[in-house]
Amino acid sequence: MISLLRRSLTARTVFATVTLSAIALATLGGFLSFSLANNFFQNRLSQVLSETERAVSSVQGTVAAASLADETALQTLINSVVPSLEVSGVSGARQVALLRSPGQPQLQLFQSPISQDLDLATIPGELREAVRASDGVLTYTSVSLVREGLIVPGITVGAPITLPLAGDFELYLVFDLGPEQQALATVQRALAVGGVVLLVVISLVSYFVTRTIVKPVEQAASVAESLSEGQLDVRLPEKGADVMAVLARSFNKMANSLQQQIQQLDSLSRMQRRFVSDVSHELRTPMTTIKLAGEVIFGNRDKLDPSLSRSAELMQNQISRFEELLADLLEISRYDAGAVTADLELHDLNAVVGAAIASIEPLAKSKQTEIQVRLPAGNVEAEFDAKRIERLLRNLLSNAVEHGEGRPIVVEVGSNAQAVAVCVTDQGVGMTKQQLERIFDRFWRADPARQRSVGGTGLGLAISKEDAILHRGWLQVWSKPNRGSSFRLTLPNNANAVIANSPLPLPPRTMEG
Amino acid sequence: MSNKILVVDDDDALREMVGLVLNAAGYQTVFAADGLSAVEVFKKEDPDLVLLDIMLPGQSGIEVCKQLRVLSGTPIVMLTAKGDTEDVVFGLEAGADDYVVKPHNGAELLARIKARLRPVAEDGGIITVGELTMDPRSYEVKRAGVRISLTPLEFKLLHTLAVKPQQVFSREMLLEQVWGYQYKADTRLVNVHVQRLRSKVEEDPENPKIVTTVRGHGYRAGNDTP
Repeated sequence: MISLLRRSLTARTVFATVTLSAIALATLGGFLSFSLANNFFQNRLSQVLSETERAVSSVQGTVAAASLADETALQTLINSVVPSLEVSGVSGARQVALLRSPGQPQLQLFQSPISQDLDLATIPGELREAVRASDGVLTYTSVSLVREGLIVPGITVGAPITLPLAGDFELYLVFDLGPEQQALATVQRALAVGGVVLLVVISLVSYFVTRTIVKPVEQAASVAESLSEGQLDVRLPEKGADVMAVLARSFNKMANSLQQQIQQLDSLSRMQRRFVSDVSHELRTPMTTIKLAGEVIFGNRDKLDPSLSRSAELMQNQISRFEELLADLLEISRYDAGAVTADLELHDLNAVVGAAIASIEPLAKSKQTEIQVRLPAGNVEAEFDAKRIERLLRNLLSNAVEHGEGRPIVVEVGSNAQAVAVCVTDQGVGMTKQQLERIFDRFWRADPARQRSVGGTGLGLAISKEDAILHRGWLQVWSKPNRGSSFRLTLPNNANAVIANSPLPLPPRTMEG
Repeated sequence: MSNKILVVDDDDALREMVGLVLNAAGYQTVFAADGLSAVEVFKKEDPDLVLLDIMLPGQSGIEVCKQLRVLSGTPIVMLTAKGDTEDVVFGLEAGADDYVVKPHNGAELLARIKARLRPVAEDGGIITVGELTMDPRSYEVKRAGVRISLTPLEFKLLHTLAVKPQQVFSREMLLEQVWGYQYKADTRLVNVHVQRLRSKVEEDPENPKIVTTVRGHGYRAGNDTP
C-alpha cells in the first residue's frame, strides 16, 4: 500500500483527496447533526413548556372554580383532572404526577395521583428542590426513560401548585422525546449514507481528473527516459493549447535542439577522426621515407668524414624522437576523437609486468638502477588490453628510472575480489604538491631545466591516464620531494567489475612513515 | 637467382627509397604507382612477392589484393599507415599474407619479406590430414584426387598443423612458425587466415573437421579427440 502510494502519483492524489474530503464531510455531518438535534430539542422544549403551563393553569383553574367542602371532594376533583392531563396536548404520550411537597401537614385520605407506568426515578430530587424554590416558574430537566426496553430521552417539567385544604404540591409532567430521537436518527442515517456516496463519487472524480493530468506527465516521463537512453527521435504529441501542450511543445523543442547538438558533435567527432586518420597517412608516408633514408645514411656513417658521420647520428636520434612524438600525438588525438576501443582479453598481469620490465632493463642498466619486483605467486588474471597496459607500464618504469637518481625501483603487484593493481615506486627527487597537480597534463614537465637523458614526448602520462580511464581503472600518484614518487595503476577484473578499493596501498608500505 | 619484388605505392619518394633498401639487400625490384598499373605490372613481371600500399588512388590496395589473389598465390605484404583499424582486417581478408605498419624501419620490412620468401616446407614426405593429401614438393593439396589451390602461406599454415596432428598450436606459436615473428604480433593474422584456409579445405566451413579450434588454446589438425 505504502509502496503503491510512493510509486503512483495517481494513487497518492486520490488518497489525499479522499482523506481530506472524508474529514470535511465528517465535520460537516457532525455540525449538521448537532444543530439539528439542538433545534429539535428546543422546539420540543418550548412546546412542552407551553403544554405544561396550560396543564398547570387548567388544574389550578379547575381547583379554584370548584367549591371544595372536604378532602373527598378535592380527591375526586384531582383524580378527574390530573389523569386527563396524560392525554391532552399534541405531543403524544406523557405521564403526570402530582406530588406533595415535603413538610406539609399529613392528610388522612388524600392520595396523590400518579400515572400508572411512571417511574419516580424520572423525577430527580434536584428537580423537585428546584421546583419548590422556583416560585411558580416552570422548571425542567432532561431525563432518560425506558420505553419498550429501550432507553429514550425525555423531559420532566415541574411546577408548584397549591391546593386548598391540602397545601403545597408539585405537578410533574414527563414527556417522551422518542419520536424526535427517531427523526434525528433517520436524518443522521441519511447524512451518513449521503456522505459515503459522496465520498465514492469524489474518489472516482479525483481518479479520473488525476488520470487526465497525470497521463501526459507519465507520457512525458517515458519519452524523457527513452531520450536519455539515446533514442533521439522520440517526441511528445502536441495536442490543444493547455499547459500540457505547452509542456509538450517545449519538451519537443528541447529534444530537437539536443538532437541537433548531438548530431553536430557527432559529425565534428567524425570529422576529427577522419582528420586524424588522414594526418596519420599523410605524415607517416614521408616519415617512412625519411626513416629508411636515415637508416641507410646512418648504416654507412663510417664511410663519411667525422662531421658528416656525427650529423648522421644526430639525425638518426632525432628521427626516432620525431617518430615517437608523432605516434604519441596521433594516439592522444585518437583519444580526443573517442576513436579508441580497448581490446579486452584475459591476461596475467604478472606476465605483462615482466615483459615491461624486460624491455626497460637495458635503460635501467645504463643508469645503474636496480628494479626490485614483488609479484604475488600464481597468475594475477584480469581482462585488459595487454598492448596498452604494457605500454603504460613501460612509461611508468622509464619515468621511474629517469627520476630515480639510481636508487632501487620497487614494482609491486596485487589483487583483490574486484581489481588488480601494480605500483611503481622510485626513491628519487619526488614532486611538490603544485607539480603533482599538473603531472597528467600534456607536454608538462616537472622540471624544465632538468637534463633529460631518456627523452620522452611529454605526452606519456597523459596517454597513460587515458589508457587507465579506457579500462575504467585508476591511475594515481603519490609523491614527496626528496623521498620519491609512486604511481599506482588499478584495473577492474573484467568489464563488469567496479573497483571499490585498490589491492595495493598508496603511498606504498615502503614509503610509510 | 635473386627474388623479384613488386613495390606498389603512390608516394614516389617512398617507392624509390624502398627500392633502394631492397636492392641493397639483394632483391630485384619493379614498381607500380597505382592500383590499375599494379595488376598489369604483376602480370608482365611475375614477381616473387608484392609490397602493397593499402591507400592507393583510384583502385584501393584491398581491391588490388583481391585481383592478385585471383591470378596467383604470390605472397602479398601490405603497407599500412593505420595499424589498429579495420583496414588491416579487410586487407587480410582480401588475401594479404602479412602487413607492416608505417613508419617502419628497413630491418622490419626485410624480415617480413624474408619470412614470406622462405621455402614453405623442408620436409619432403607426403602427409594426409582428414581426407586431404599434402605434397610439400609440389605444394599440392588434393581431396580424393581433386586439386585444391592454396597460397604458399595457407599451405604452410596447414602443413605446420598437419605435421603434428596431436599438438594444439596457440596463435603465438603459429605466428612464430608460420609467419616468422620472433616477438609478439597481431593475432588477427592467424584468425583471418584460418578462416580463409577453412573456406578452401573444409567441406562445411561452419563445422570444421580439418582445422579445428581448441577453445581457449588455439588450433589443431583433425578433430579426433586425443
